[in-house]
Amino acid sequence: MAPMDCLAYSKALLKPLAFSFASGSSLPTCDTWYFRNAYNMVLHKFGEKLYSGLVSTMTLHLKEISKSIEVAQGASFLEELNRKWADHNKALQMIRDILMYMDRTFIPSTHKTPVHDLGLNLWRDNVIHSSKIQARLRGTLLELVRGERTGEIINRGLMRNIMKMLMDLGSLVYQEDFEKPFIEVSADFYRVESQQFIECCDCGDYLKKAEKRLNEEIERVSHYLDATSEAKITKVVEKEMIENHMSRLVHMENSGLVNMIMDDKYDDLGRMYSLFHRVSNGLSILRDVMTSHIREIGKQLVTDTERLKDPVGFVQQLLDERDKHDKIISFAFNNDKTFQNALNSSFEYFINLNPRSPEYISLFVDDKLRKGLKGVSEEDVEIVLDKVMMLFRYLQEKDVFEKYYKQHLAKRLLSGKTASDDAERSLIVKLKTECGYQFTSKLEGMFTDMKTSQDTMQGFYAAMGPEIADGPMLTIQVLTTGSWPTQLSAPCNLPSEILGLCDKFRTYYLGTHTGRRLSWQTNMGTADLKATFGKGQKHELNVSTYQMCILMLFNNADMHGYREIEQAMEIPASDLKRCLQSLACVKGKNVLRKEPMSKDISEDDSFFFNDKFTSKLYKIKIGTVVAQKESEPEKQETRHRVEEDRKPQIEAAIVRIMKSRRVLDHNNIVAEVTKQMQSRFLPNPVVIKKRIESLIEREFLERDKVDRKLYRYLA
Amino acid sequence: MLAWKMQAEKQGYFTIEEWRRGLKALRADTIIKLKKALPELEKEVRRPSNFLDFYSYAFRYCLTEEKQKSIDIESICQLLDLVLGSQFHSQVDLFVQYIRTQVDYKVINMDQWMGFYRFCNEISFPDFSNYDPELAWPLILDNFVEWMRAKRS
Repeated sequence: MAPMDCLAYSKALLKPLAFSFASGSSLPTCDTWYFRNAYNMVLHKFGEKLYSGLVSTMTLHLKEISKSIEVAQGASFLEELNRKWADHNKALQMIRDILMYMDRTFIPSTHKTPVHDLGLNLWRDNVIHSSKIQARLRGTLLELVRGERTGEIINRGLMRNIMKMLMDLGSLVYQEDFEKPFIEVSADFYRVESQQFIECCDCGDYLKKAEKRLNEEIERVSHYLDATSEAKITKVVEKEMIENHMSRLVHMENSGLVNMIMDDKYDDLGRMYSLFHRVSNGLSILRDVMTSHIREIGKQLVTDTERLKDPVGFVQQLLDERDKHDKIISFAFNNDKTFQNALNSSFEYFINLNPRSPEYISLFVDDKLRKGLKGVSEEDVEIVLDKVMMLFRYLQEKDVFEKYYKQHLAKRLLSGKTASDDAERSLIVKLKTECGYQFTSKLEGMFTDMKTSQDTMQGFYAAMGPEIADGPMLTIQVLTTGSWPTQLSAPCNLPSEILGLCDKFRTYYLGTHTGRRLSWQTNMGTADLKATFGKGQKHELNVSTYQMCILMLFNNADMHGYREIEQAMEIPASDLKRCLQSLACVKGKNVLRKEPMSKDISEDDSFFFNDKFTSKLYKIKIGTVVAQKESEPEKQETRHRVEEDRKPQIEAAIVRIMKSRRVLDHNNIVAEVTKQMQSRFLPNPVVIKKRIESLIEREFLERDKVDRKLYRYLA
Repeated sequence: MLAWKMQAEKQGYFTIEEWRRGLKALRADTIIKLKKALPELEKEVRRPSNFLDFYSYAFRYCLTEEKQKSIDIESICQLLDLVLGSQFHSQVDLFVQYIRTQVDYKVINMDQWMGFYRFCNEISFPDFSNYDPELAWPLILDNFVEWMRAKRS
């Protein structure tokens, strides 16, 4: 066989190929001729010529193609390009098959570009990067995208093919010829659009639009762009539409984050969260604004003097606010832990702004345990108590709460006003879990005393039986001094009927419990009296012990002057006045009549048994033993006691620490003590210093002689 | 001062031992020699190595009751003036003024007494620029510095 002219061969090779594809028919039947010739050429060392022939022929051919694409008008530009590209691919495939021997032998050994890749490169260089096509292609593509963004319908299939073509030519081509300009143009587009939107939309609407655009871009990528573009384009949208306007959106008047929170707009909030999540610092802005908002409303709440007049309502409001924001975080903020923490720290901050918060929370619990939980199911009870525990955890001064809780519990137990024993116990358990055994041991002691007293009473009546059967019925609670809140027992003269019984009980009790001391707490008792009035109407009066003593006086005479009563009773004047007031000056409960009829009790007043007393109810309660918000002096008193209680605790902590460390400097002692005390209260560094000095004076510690910052433990 | 030299235990009393000890140390066996020895004694007292001992002795000297640990404010004022008045005149004046007006403390104990001496020595006066309340100064001195600063502004 004569060595063919390679150039002629390749021309010969390409022409029918090009033709056949244009007309849709397949390769002429002498294709084996092509194979054979290619093979021979390479075999006879004409590979070089074959290769270069291929290059030049294809280049020429492609230049022709390029021209034909250039003349296409309008929409058909892309279509032509697409069509010719498809053709080229098919041709390439065939050429590669035919020149396979060259591909496998000549090309690797000479490190030339394989046929297929060569075909792509030539296409790229001669068509895509031809001066008349490159810019036009880019422009057309970007124009179409822009059109689609403004609502036009475009040929997505065509776009997809073009993009795929660019990717096939190499990701660098895709990036340079399309992606980079695409990103730039998109950024401009969204910058302008976001500016327009933000001027005319409220926050919620803006976010909806931003979300829509974001989804559109993602969808665009999935339909006709390369997947690698998704991250880049979303970043553009996030930056232009969200990041650049974050602050303005969040703080937008009447529609920003704060308004959304106040109006519980879960959808809008959820959208804001997911959009801002994409942007760095987006969530921290949300969190900060939310935090300062909660702190603000919290601060207003705890300093609102009107509202604070009703402690129970106040605490309920706290719970409601917490619930509200909790819901927002779980529905809209994906239960994000950082937001939960922000919520908790905000509550902790403002609850402790009001030093009476511990007292109020205890009052709330008192209210619930008295009557608020009647008819509520067991699970619901648990829920309410758990919520209360949440508030409790926020308190810095837990020991103040403990003091009030003890007082209120004592009142509840002694007046028998607990709605549910189980609920009481449940709360004690929760407190124990939270604060340890120390916190609740005394409270539990109180319950134990109540139970023991019941048993004691049974024993008493069994033992005494017939002796006291027709006297008044006595129920006595024996309280262990250490467990119950300290009360000074004021003197009080009990009526003779009662005194006799009391003595009998004392004898009985001390008989079985030698070595104990009993003292009557007359200020905490209650009595039920049956009274008959002028027209014979009978009523049962539930009164305090003091009141009972006063009323019994009127069994002897119809009239008693104030001074008489005072002498007979021997109870403190302030208590006496309060009792007389509740017996004589309160409408509907005035079983005594006072002359003169003034509101206040003066020492010259006279009191009469009110014959004309009427009431619709048979049983009337005139007791004064309900737990109330403390008056100012009482509050000072309690606060003072708390401070006094803290001193030995701090000292014990200091001694403990110094005993184990032996030598420690001032700052570290303060830090350690604070850490040890933090579950109960936050100690004041000045108080700690004072305690240290007191311990130095009492020679538990000394200052180090050399380094004045150190303290030393003295064994 | 004489009592210090004698290391007398009880204010207002000298035991024979103490008397002998002190006079021997002063090398004085007549009144005239004693009088002459006094200025020397004063110098000796003022020597920094002795002064600290003298200073703390002065406090203990005033603890007349058994188990007494602190001295009332009025006595402290006089004692301070006596012992430190010449050396740290302005500090003593101001401090005395302060402790007379404040209400937190009714007595001064040894720790606070010694603390004040250190204070005069270490802290720049009257600006207190190097006073660090974070360090373990007795609380009364923290309050004193605060009071001074408030007064000045």
